[in-house]
Amino acid sequence: MEGTSPTPPAPSPGDIFWTFFRISAVTIGGGYAMVPVIGKEVTAKRWMEEKEFYDLFALAQSFPGPIALNTALIVGRKMAGMAGFCLALAGILVPPFVSVLVVALLLDGFGNLAPVRGFLGGAAAVIPGLVGALLWRMTRTRTWTVWRIACTLCAAAAVIAFRSWAIPLFFASVLVALAGEVRS
Amino acid sequence: MNLLSLAWVFFKIGIAAYGGGWTIVGIIKTEILGRGWITEAGFSDLVAISQVTPGPVALNAATLVGYRLAGIPGAAVATLAVVAFPILSILAATSLLARLGKARGMLQEALKTGTIALVAMTLWTFLPAAASSWTSGVLAAGAFALAAFTKTHPLFIILGAGGIGLVLSLLVP
Repeated sequence: MEGTSPTPPAPSPGDIFWTFFRISAVTIGGGYAMVPVIGKEVTAKRWMEEKEFYDLFALAQSFPGPIALNTALIVGRKMAGMAGFCLALAGILVPPFVSVLVVALLLDGFGNLAPVRGFLGGAAAVIPGLVGALLWRMTRTRTWTVWRIACTLCAAAAVIAFRSWAIPLFFASVLVALAGEVRS
Repeated sequence: MNLLSLAWVFFKIGIAAYGGGWTIVGIIKTEILGRGWITEAGFSDLVAISQVTPGPVALNAATLVGYRLAGIPGAAVATLAVVAFPILSILAATSLLARLGKARGMLQEALKTGTIALVAMTLWTFLPAAASSWTSGVLAAGAFALAAFTKTHPLFIILGAGGIGLVLSLLVP
């Protein structure tokens, strides 16, 4: 079935590590900004077809954890087994770890200066707006049924009312929602 | 700060970390603030920094919270603990979930229910901050409008608001 496309070159371990390292080091804005970049890279290097990549991305969303990390791990393993998995893990984890620590150290030194406080205050002030916009987009793009509306409202009310139980309540609501999906 | 309890909290957070950064930030906030480990204002600072440094926001937030609580060992422990369950579950269940086919669509639909609920919780816990001053309220409302109705990259919204905050701090000492 791969008769027409030439055999893709097998990625070297260093290549896998550096690809994910580079993407993780330069992409700001979280997972949903990183995934399209990973997709572009792996298809440009002809490690896999675009459709295969987005199938793996869909699979990655079934697991907990940062979506960019999950996608990288599944792609890495697909390409080079356990070695690819570990290389992708290291490549994604190291750059943010180092850069975040550098920023934290800088803040220890300069964090109390008025302009720095002003910048951080402004940057933090947009958080409710960004979260609200995410909620808006998630609810707009979902296909709603009466069951899904009822389930989601109950789940939201429950986690807001009992925030210290958020994790168990999350899984309980997913199970109830899943039971409803299976029945319909 | 006991590194073991730090590891346990972030391991737990990793288990329910579905649906991207903002869900995880919400859980981190309730777990960490609920224990009195960090103040509300301190946490907002950390999230703001997580947004403008490279890498997944949830990972950055975990690293920063760990660093604040227990220095570099804390940063390493929190980072590894928050990815431990995702890593193990991907190792254990990728081929299983890949074979689920249609049932995986149902699972993902059900996960949306829980994820939307957690994002709503995150929003709820951040709302008092938006109502705390005129500036915060206006910046939050502006950010919502830009992020919900335009294709502006969140990074520009964050940097823009940071710039406004910086200028205001110089004008109104």
